[in-house]
Amino acid sequence: MKTKVAFFDFGGCEGCQLQIANLEEDVLRLIDIVKIVSFREIMKEHSDDYDIAVIEGSIMRPMDEERLKKIRKNAKILIALGACACLGGVQRMINQWPVEESKEIVYGNSEKIKDNPYFDNFHTKAVDEVVKVDAYVPGCPIDRNEFVRILIAIIQGKKPPLPDYPLCVECKKKENICLFEEGKLCLGPITRAGCNAICPSYGSECEGCRGFISHPEERAYKEVLENYSISVEELLHKKSIFNYRYIEKKRDKNE
Amino acid sequence: MKIMLKEEFLSFVDGLIESMDVEGVKAKDKKFVFDRLGSSEELRLDYDTTILPPKKYFLPQYETIMKFDLSKQFSVKKEEDHEKRVIIGVHPYDIVAIKQMDKYFLDTHPDDLYFQKRKNTVIIGSNILNVSEKAFFGDMETGYVDSGYDLMITDLGDRVAIEIGTEAGRDLLRGYSLREASTGEIEEVKRIINDASEKAKRGLRVKPQKWHDLLEKSYNSEIWKKQAEKCLSCGTCTLVCPTCFCYDVTDEIDLTLKEGKRIRTWDGCLLRNFTEVASGEIFREKTEDRYRHRFNRKGRYLPTLLGFVACVGCGRCSSQCIPDIADPVNLMNMLAEEVSHLEEKSVSPHTETIIQSTEVEKPLYVPMPATIKNVKKLTKTEKLFEIELDNGRSLGHMPGQFVEISIPGYGEAPISVSSSPDGKRFQLIVRKMGDLTSKLHTMKEGDKVGIRGPFGNGFDLEALRGKNLIFIAGGLGLAPMRSLISYVLKNRMDFGEVTILYGCKEPCEVLLKEEIEEWEKREDIQFLKSVDRCPENEKWSGEIGVITSLIPKVKFDPKNTTAIIVGPPVMYKFVIDDLKNLGMPEENIIVSLERRMKCGVGKCGHCQINGIYVCKDGPVFNYKDIKDLPEAFT
Repeated sequence: MKTKVAFFDFGGCEGCQLQIANLEEDVLRLIDIVKIVSFREIMKEHSDDYDIAVIEGSIMRPMDEERLKKIRKNAKILIALGACACLGGVQRMINQWPVEESKEIVYGNSEKIKDNPYFDNFHTKAVDEVVKVDAYVPGCPIDRNEFVRILIAIIQGKKPPLPDYPLCVECKKKENICLFEEGKLCLGPITRAGCNAICPSYGSECEGCRGFISHPEERAYKEVLENYSISVEELLHKKSIFNYRYIEKKRDKNE
Repeated sequence: MKIMLKEEFLSFVDGLIESMDVEGVKAKDKKFVFDRLGSSEELRLDYDTTILPPKKYFLPQYETIMKFDLSKQFSVKKEEDHEKRVIIGVHPYDIVAIKQMDKYFLDTHPDDLYFQKRKNTVIIGSNILNVSEKAFFGDMETGYVDSGYDLMITDLGDRVAIEIGTEAGRDLLRGYSLREASTGEIEEVKRIINDASEKAKRGLRVKPQKWHDLLEKSYNSEIWKKQAEKCLSCGTCTLVCPTCFCYDVTDEIDLTLKEGKRIRTWDGCLLRNFTEVASGEIFREKTEDRYRHRFNRKGRYLPTLLGFVACVGCGRCSSQCIPDIADPVNLMNMLAEEVSHLEEKSVSPHTETIIQSTEVEKPLYVPMPATIKNVKKLTKTEKLFEIELDNGRSLGHMPGQFVEISIPGYGEAPISVSSSPDGKRFQLIVRKMGDLTSKLHTMKEGDKVGIRGPFGNGFDLEALRGKNLIFIAGGLGLAPMRSLISYVLKNRMDFGEVTILYGCKEPCEVLLKEEIEEWEKREDIQFLKSVDRCPENEKWSGEIGVITSLIPKVKFDPKNTTAIIVGPPVMYKFVIDDLKNLGMPEENIIVSLERRMKCGVGKCGHCQINGIYVCKDGPVFNYKDIKDLPEAFT
């Protein structure tokens, strides 16, 4: 019996699911080893009978929470797919302001949307802040090969592989020129590897979309930035793009 | 020395490109890399240094070491690499590093994968025209080599000077016009070599011959901590180093689930989880410990083990370390400030050339097929597997040795042999912990696994014969110890008084219950067992308390008894302290240690405790031999 897999989208752009749809001929191999029962980007059918639920997107509203909990009950294994599901995504930056304030800015007169459950936002949450997550596929977007690796590991009863060393390792292996040497602020030294250093390989600084490693060397990293005359504000801004969750956590710890 | 006109040299390079894989130095933005040459025009002999050293050709960043056919029970095929390759432009310091690498991989337990790549490669060295800012090969005296290359060239502008190192090098030149170098040209080459070495002096105040003593005396210096506070633990210094060879091994399965491969990838001792074992223990958890290990390995451990200082002064670590703490010149000079007198050792970065005289036949990493003959559940998390090699031979192990057991697609793990060496079968007691062991727990009689080994040093049976023995086992420590206990009990007359102490956390964790009942019944040994705690619903006939609480409860003569201790890392210190307080001499204490291991033969680097390798120097050690190693008992 093939493992049944269902995909679900929450607050996000659906780009990570698109990465999977873009596996091209590998999609055919994928459906040889699993049965996809729900995936709205590639099929019309839907079934609530699945073993693995793949969750894309962040959790924004009570109705999302309710839906997610139902999925968790149906699934044996739950995978968080992409930066939104794993960390809360770029939309988590909004947590810096009170919900009502940001609603007012975005929608204007909030009277119109009052009592409409679709607009009943709370502060953005990652999937594991609502339900238990068994495996994470980080990144914005995800690396589709990593998704396949993790899925295979799960099917085989292995621990989902996820590197816990910084991106610098992959940059070095690829002989990329270090972006610090060009005076750029790269989050590579504290960010989880696994994307094969795709952004720095094209000259763009790492923005930390895969989240930070479990023990980032914060103090050393800050000192480096001081030496390169990069301000803390600039760092916080960069960090908050994908890792506002981390900033929240640090702040809560300090309080 | 020969001379070739530049134009002729370029057509020589283009000729090579037509017939084989030619790797040479090319520009990458403002830097340089070794990469495949498409034409001689790309070759940049004026480079200062490359981002990565040429070690990547012999130990690639990502290397398939074997392939699996997962549709069969056990089908493993070693990966072969027969491609002929030429590398052009290797600087002398990198040639010194390659010679070190040869020694490291080929000296003992020769690595056939490395050997194949190395033997198929022709090295065309190039004397250094430009010196990178951080290079200090002048200080290390590695700016010149007279061996280790097939050809050594010096770019003289419109001509190229060529020194022939080997027959393979000479063969390449056949058909191209060469003439003897004039005295003036020989002088010109000398001047180029000297100029580069002079430029590559950065004021290293401690010459490599003294690094050993300096590092030994500075082991507890505050400088390690101070420097490590700036360390990003990013691994850069090790990855870009031409003399860092540590690697990790993992299994991959493709999307068909029918094929898989075992991969070797670069690892680095500066990375936090480098020493992490399946149970989650990290043996070098502090950044300063990892930072110190790297320098000690280069200046102290490898010189002792292989006779060379594992730094060639290329300057890659210094130039690529973002916080700028990796530079050996700065570090050694800083450490030297605190130490007044230093002894010299007769070591340097240079080592002999061994590649031509080496032959390697046996594959090092391919496991022997074996069959599970029996599986017995011992506890919720431990099972005992009885295994027989398919070649019909016995394993031939000593008590205390270990094997690498593997399942294609799930990886490999070091497991101690739990049975005494008799008969064709051997037993492994395995805790369900990581991917490999979890899969193993689902396997049944008749299933196939792979075995490599036996590896390491076991218990010295001859030395133990006639002695009084006290066995002290904590938890899963009974597994390796049982190989010796079984042997001793089977040959009971050969030994003096025998005492066995066994402690677990809870009664449900007790291994080998039936065998233990037998031990309890025997009158020719003392046996005591304890648990740290006993939940109300469980039965327990032994003592309650930690393992050390059993020691005062048995009669033995501490001065005339040998203790064998195996248990979780935290146990050793307490047990050893108690025994020493009772008057047991240090040389009477024998331990078996656990560390992360990937290769089993002293290559992958994970199991190092300071300068020793648990996989080949241990896992069984006499306490007095390792008690002064700060990393042995944490």
